[in-house]
Parts: sequence; structure tokens; C-alpha cells
Amino acid sequence: MIDPRSMTEPVTPPYVGGGALAHIGAEIWDHLWPWSRSGFQRQRAIQAAGLALALAATLVWVLAALGNNLTPGAIIGWWFGWSVFEVVVRLGSKPYVKEGPWWGQRYRKASVMDMICYVGFKNLLIGATLFIGLKSLGLLVI
Amino acid sequence: MKSLSALRGAAMAALFAVTSLLSLPAAAESAYEAPLPAEINSDPDLCKHVPCAEVVPGADSFSPRKGKPAYVEAYRSEGGQKTLVGYAFLSTDIVDIPAYSGKPVITLIGMDTKGIITGTKILRHSEPILLLGIPESVLTKFIKQYLGKYVGDKIEIGKAREGEAMIGLDAITGATVTVIAQNQVIMRSGVAIARQVGILKVEPKPQIKFAAVNDTLSWAQLVDEGSVRRLTVQPEQLGMPRAAEPYVDMQYGYLNTPSVGRSILGDNGYQSLMTQLKPGEHAIFIISNGSDSFKGSGFVRGGIFDRVQVGQDMDAYTFRDLDYLNLWGVKAAGAPAYKESAIFIIRDPGFSAAYPWNLVFLANKRDRETGHRDFVSFSDEYWVPARYIEGGRPKVVKPDAPWLKVWKARAVEIGLFVALLVAVATVYANRDALTRRSTRKNKWPVNAFKYTFWIISIGFVGFGMLAQPSITQVLTWFHSLLFKWQWELFLTDPFIFLFWIFIILTTFVWGRGLFCGWMCPFGSLSELIYKVAGAIGLKRFQFALPMKWHNRLKWIKYAVFFGLLAVSVFSMGLAEMLAEVEPFKTTFLVGMFNRAWPYTLFVAVLLGLSIFIERPFCKYLCPLGASLAMPSTFRWFGLKRKQECNTCKACAVGCGSLAIDEHGRIDHRECMHCLDCMVLYTDEHACPPLAQERKRRTKAGLPLTPIGKDGYYIPIKPVPAAKA
Ligand code: SF4
Ligand code: SF4
Repeated sequence: MIDPRSMTEPVTPPYVGGGALAHIGAEIWDHLWPWSRSGFQRQRAIQAAGLALALAATLVWVLAALGNNLTPGAIIGWWFGWSVFEVVVRLGSKPYVKEGPWWGQRYRKASVMDMICYVGFKNLLIGATLFIGLKSLGLLVI
Repeated sequence: MKSLSALRGAAMAALFAVTSLLSLPAAAESAYEAPLPAEINSDPDLCKHVPCAEVVPGADSFSPRKGKPAYVEAYRSEGGQKTLVGYAFLSTDIVDIPAYSGKPVITLIGMDTKGIITGTKILRHSEPILLLGIPESVLTKFIKQYLGKYVGDKIEIGKAREGEAMIGLDAITGATVTVIAQNQVIMRSGVAIARQVGILKVEPKPQIKFAAVNDTLSWAQLVDEGSVRRLTVQPEQLGMPRAAEPYVDMQYGYLNTPSVGRSILGDNGYQSLMTQLKPGEHAIFIISNGSDSFKGSGFVRGGIFDRVQVGQDMDAYTFRDLDYLNLWGVKAAGAPAYKESAIFIIRDPGFSAAYPWNLVFLANKRDRETGHRDFVSFSDEYWVPARYIEGGRPKVVKPDAPWLKVWKARAVEIGLFVALLVAVATVYANRDALTRRSTRKNKWPVNAFKYTFWIISIGFVGFGMLAQPSITQVLTWFHSLLFKWQWELFLTDPFIFLFWIFIILTTFVWGRGLFCGWMCPFGSLSELIYKVAGAIGLKRFQFALPMKWHNRLKWIKYAVFFGLLAVSVFSMGLAEMLAEVEPFKTTFLVGMFNRAWPYTLFVAVLLGLSIFIERPFCKYLCPLGASLAMPSTFRWFGLKRKQECNTCKACAVGCGSLAIDEHGRIDHRECMHCLDCMVLYTDEHACPPLAQERKRRTKAGLPLTPIGKDGYYIPIKPVPAAKA
């Protein structure tokens, strides 16, 4: 029977149940690393494309770090492309989102929209941090 | 299925965008992002490119650009005689004050020989609000207010207050930032040129009296106490590729101060410099490194040093070759090596070293997109350390920053607004107390608050303070994040600023429902119309779309949002234009009847539909709602449900937002926090599981315990009788 208290079925990610510190560590890892082993098996074609994309993205950041200026359009393009890719990957490998406050430990299955919201918002924060960081270091000039 | 409906949503959004674009009235004729010839900034013959004659009526010929900052002289020919009748100048030759868009409003200004402004013309602006929101004629009307005004007068935006020697100008409602910037632009440009051509005389300031301090300092000590300061400009600040070496890296100081003069020039050097200076004259020194010269390569003997000047208050002091002396060396111990050096002399009695002044570096910045060169300036403030001034530094009252003026002028309203926001959050935080007092038949404990807040938000917040948040602000943030984050920009509109703090906080904690459902002026107006229509007997015509259709159409708003976001990356202007999908500007900022008919019609249709459908715009179109709905997925505290909600449809049927699905689950992206379902949740007559239990207990003669947090009666646990 469907539980109306949760928007989608509750899910327990593999790391739930450890100590508080281990849990926080696992969650941070989860935010940064979209892949999981089981997901990897299932989505080989996507992963291959992803690897190429990841390499290209890294290259761009390295170039930026070496002092080659990036245009805002390029950055946003990369950000967007990566986010779309991450949504697809996560739906295969870590198809859950948190429910309720960030300090809680409730998770539920992610619908496509949930995943878009999650990835979009998370990457916005990460992107903004990187961006402001690079800018204040003078590595990025607009 | 979902992706299909999203696709359909995108298509509809595109269609919508195109229709709204087609209906733009004569946008092409406006000065919005008007293309200007690249030579406008550099061609000596300024008037070949801009309509100088329009701003200096009666003039028929114009000189080439002259002076620093540049202006042209306007002549009238009569019987073969040319008489000087005034001056014309381009604002961007003189100041670099950005307006709301972060870009300057390029204005051509005319002034007669007495310093009276004879004409103003906006050649190009990038102000989104003036693109469509407020007709450009309003801006033209605003700058017409300057005609006939004397540049030496104190002209400010707002009502002139009793006893203040100031002329007040009427602002443009909804475009405060733009007009404040524009006022600065016109006044500063006017003063600069009037000073230069001798219309405005500088008022001599009290000069510095040096205290009897006469020590010799090392370079490090001079830097430490602020007697030597530094102004560095990096190439990237001028739109050039980043480089290891700064563009210019100037260190400078005021040489009249005996200790500083002696430390830098040595005793003899200082003495000889002072004998060269007449009373009231001042000398500064500059040493510089960097890839370029602060003296400017274009400098020829007899010319003006066009890259450095000294500024104090509204005045700028430029240097000619006669004001230049060689700096033969820096004596101070530990002085750095340098490539270039100079001593400049300020001869104007308007300058006083007792007060702070600025060293200003003037340059051209290349716009990476267009290749256009814009004038920019960089400055650093210098103030002789207190120990050198007899009696210490004089008291200087700096005028408040424009944004601070706005906050002060509207302190009362701001206070009320903050109180309102706090009240809303407090009431909502205590919603449990209100919903428990309400029943399905009598929801007044909740609604009394909600309706009050609606009315305040429509009347006071919307129509009164014009504080309707908008998706354009979200887009502006993205842009500021990318280009230039200016707190001032956001602070100039205190209500929007505070509103956004409220929105961000409450969206995190409870979801977007509190803002959308209780505080958004347009949303409130829309639902109020629905409620009033229902109350006056139109209920039988009111309907909600079938869930199936709702679930498809609700995706449109997300498509609109992403569409706008994508467009804004390429063109902020176009995005702002497309943001007209929000009826907010027409409704609150400009007024229904001050706009071209397509806009009025659009609002009328939306509000008309609201009579029959609850919040049609919010449910299906609002990009702002969509942008807030997405983070609402992760609100911390949601609304409550019971397992029985799964089969019971009581709440779902009553949910005006259609936010409860067939399994009884609440979609917090759609929920407007009307709290109807939360009233039912604890209503022992209306919530079926509760009603059942109530009946059972009444029959069995058991007491009715209070309803717990989980929405059930607190179970009766027989307590073992205490031992006597
Ligand atoms: S959906 Fe848009 S118009 Fe409706 S209440 Fe929310 S922000 Fe306001
Ligand atoms: S009835 Fe609907 S809109 Fe109202 S609070 Fe419940 S879920 Fe939200």
C-alpha cells in the first residue's frame, strides 16, 4: 500500500545506519559522486559518453586554472550539459533524494522532476562556489 | 509520458514567447540597446554621430571634441559671425556611473554659456524596466525636468525638504535605481564641463595647516601610516587578457606634508620644490610599474595628461605639461624600484589637502562581446594622516550612498514591511494552533489571517510599495553572479531586497507555498478574485481542470522558467522582454491602463480566468513560481498526512491547488499552503478515521483524548492502579 506521508516510496541508501560522522561523509560523497557500482553496470553506453564528458569538463577546468579565460556562455553551457548528464546517471545509479530537513535521514525514490530539482540546485551551489572561487583568485575573468 | 508533456509544455511556452514578442509595440524605435557607431567614443567630430543640435537649440555648427573631459562648443552663425551659444557633451566621456542594468545610460547633454541645461537626449540604455515596463516616454519626460535648471544647483530625486537648498525632481515609480543613477550622470557631467569652461567657479576650501611634525620616515613607515598609497589596475579590469604584470601599479603621496616631502625628496629637494610652489599650490608624486604608462602614450608636449587626475568631491583636477615636474629619485629608505615617475602640481584653490581626495586613473575598457571601448575610472582615496594636521583631520560628512538614502527616506514603510513579513512567518509557524481551532465548516481562524495578509499584500505591498517579486530578479542575480556583484544594486530597492530574504528563508523551511499562497501580490489578487466571485454567487461556474490535464499543463511553468533562463544567457534584454509573461509589471508597476493594449488584455484575461479557475497563472505559467517550486522539493517541514489519506479523498477533493494526488500524497511543489487539508487533519467530524474513532469511543463511553501530532486521538493506555 502506498504511504501518503511520502511523495514517493521511502528508500534506504546503502550508507544509512552508520555513525553520524560516517553518515555526513557518505552524504557529501553522495552529492559529489553521481555514480554507483550497480548503476554503472546497467548504463554502460551512458557511462562511456559520461567518461568522455567528464574528461572534457576536467580539461576545461584545468585550462581555466592555467589562466585561459572562459567565456560565461561556455561555463553555463558546460554546467548545463553536465547537469543533464548527471540527472540521467543518478536516475540509474542513485535514484533517491532526501525528504525533509537536511539533517534528517529520510530518503525517498526520486522521480525525474525530483532529480532535476536536486541536481539543478546542488550544481547551482557547487557552480556558484567554484565560480566565485575562481573569480576571486583571478583565474576567471569576465 | 512526463517527458512528452514537458515537451508539449516547452512548445507552448515557445509559442507564447513568440506571440508576446510579436505584440511588442514599436520596440525598434527605442533607445534600448540602440546600436551606436563605434567612433562615437573617439571621433573628434562627435556631432557627426549624435544629434548635438537637438540639445543646444539654435546652434548650427560645432567644434571638434576638446578638453578633458571632452565636450564640444556649439555656435550659431549670424551674418558670417559665429557666436558661442553653448556646449554639448556625452555623459560617457565624463562619468562611468552604471544604471540598473550595470551598463551606463548614454546621454547627450546640452548646456548654454550660463550653465543652464538646454537639452538632454538618451542615445542608448540597457534598462530592462524601461524597455517595456515603463514606456520610454516616461524617461524622456523625466530628463526633460532638467531643462532650464542650473548645473550649479543641488538637484536630487524626491521632494525638496523645507529649509534645504535643493531642487527635487519627480522620480519614475518603479525605476528608482535608474533615475538616481541618471541624476548623478547629468549633474556630474554638467558640473565637470561647467567648471572646465569657467562657468562654475570653484569655492576655495580652507587649506591645510600642518602640525609641527618633522621626522624622516622610511618607505615602509610612509606606507604604514597611509602617507604613501597604492592604486593598481589589472589588465583584466580593462577587458584584456590576464597577465602576471599589472597594467599600472602606482604608488603615490602628497608632497607638501613636510615629513613626507623630506622623506621622499630629501631636505634640499623638498626645499626647492616648496620654493617653486606658490601659496595654495600642491604637489603629489607618483611612481609606477606595470605594463603600461600612467602618463599615456598619446601625451605630447602641450597636451594634457589624460590618464591620471585628482578628484575631490565633485571636482576633478587634471594636469597639463606645465603642471609636471621630474621626480629625480626617491630618497626614502627601502623605496621600491619603478619604471616611471612624476610630480604633478595642483594649482586650483578649490583643492584642499585637509580633506580626502582621490587619485583617479582613467582608461578604456574593451567590451569582450562587442569590442566597444567604454570609459572607466579607478580611484583610490588619500587623506593626509591626522598627526600632520593641526587639530587633527576636520570632520567630513560624506553624503549617504544612494541606496542608504532610499532606506532612510522610507524607514517607516520598511519597518512596517519587516513587521508584516515577521508576522506572516510567525502566524504560519503557529499554524497548528489555527488549524485545530478551525473545522471544515468554519475555517475563519486560518482564513482571517490569510485574507488579511492577502489584502495587505495586494494593497500595501503590491500597489503601494510596488514590491512584486519577479523572475527578472532571479535572472539579474544569475547575471550579477557572472559579471559584477553589486550589493548597491539590490539594496536600492529595500522592499524587494527584504522580500527575497523572506522568500529564500521560508522556501527552505516550508516550501514556496507561504510566499505564493499568502504573500505574492499577484497570486493573492488572483485567488481573492476567485474567492469573491465564489462568494457572490458565481460558484456554480467555477471549476478546476481534470487532474489528468492539470498534471500535463503544470509543466508549462517550468518550461517557461528554463526558457527564460536559457535566453538570458544569450541576451538579458530578450529575456527581460519575454519575462512579460509575468503580468506583474502591468498590474502593479505601471498600471493596467498605462500600457499598450496587448499587455492590458493579457492581464485582463488572466484575472478574468481567475473568476472561474483558482490561480490559473500560478498553476500553469508563472516562471517565478516554478523557480521557487523546484527548491520546495527539499523544504524542511512539509504538511502532514495519515495512512488513511491513501483511500480517503476528502482532502484531495478540497485542494484548490490540485496538489494532492490519487494516493493522497501532497506535491509540495504545487501546494499553496491554504491549510484546508490541515484543518481536516484534526477535524474530528470531517476526517473519516477521526470521526470513526470518535463515534466508537462515544459509544463505548470512552473519553475523547486530545488529537496528537500524528493526527489521531492519543491512545488510551490503561495505567496500572497506583499502589496505595
Ligand atoms: S505562482 Fe507566481 S504569481 Fe502565483 S503566487 Fe507564486 S509567484 Fe505569485
Ligand atoms: S489543501 Fe492542497 S494547497 Fe491546501 S495546504 Fe493542502 S495540499 Fe496544500
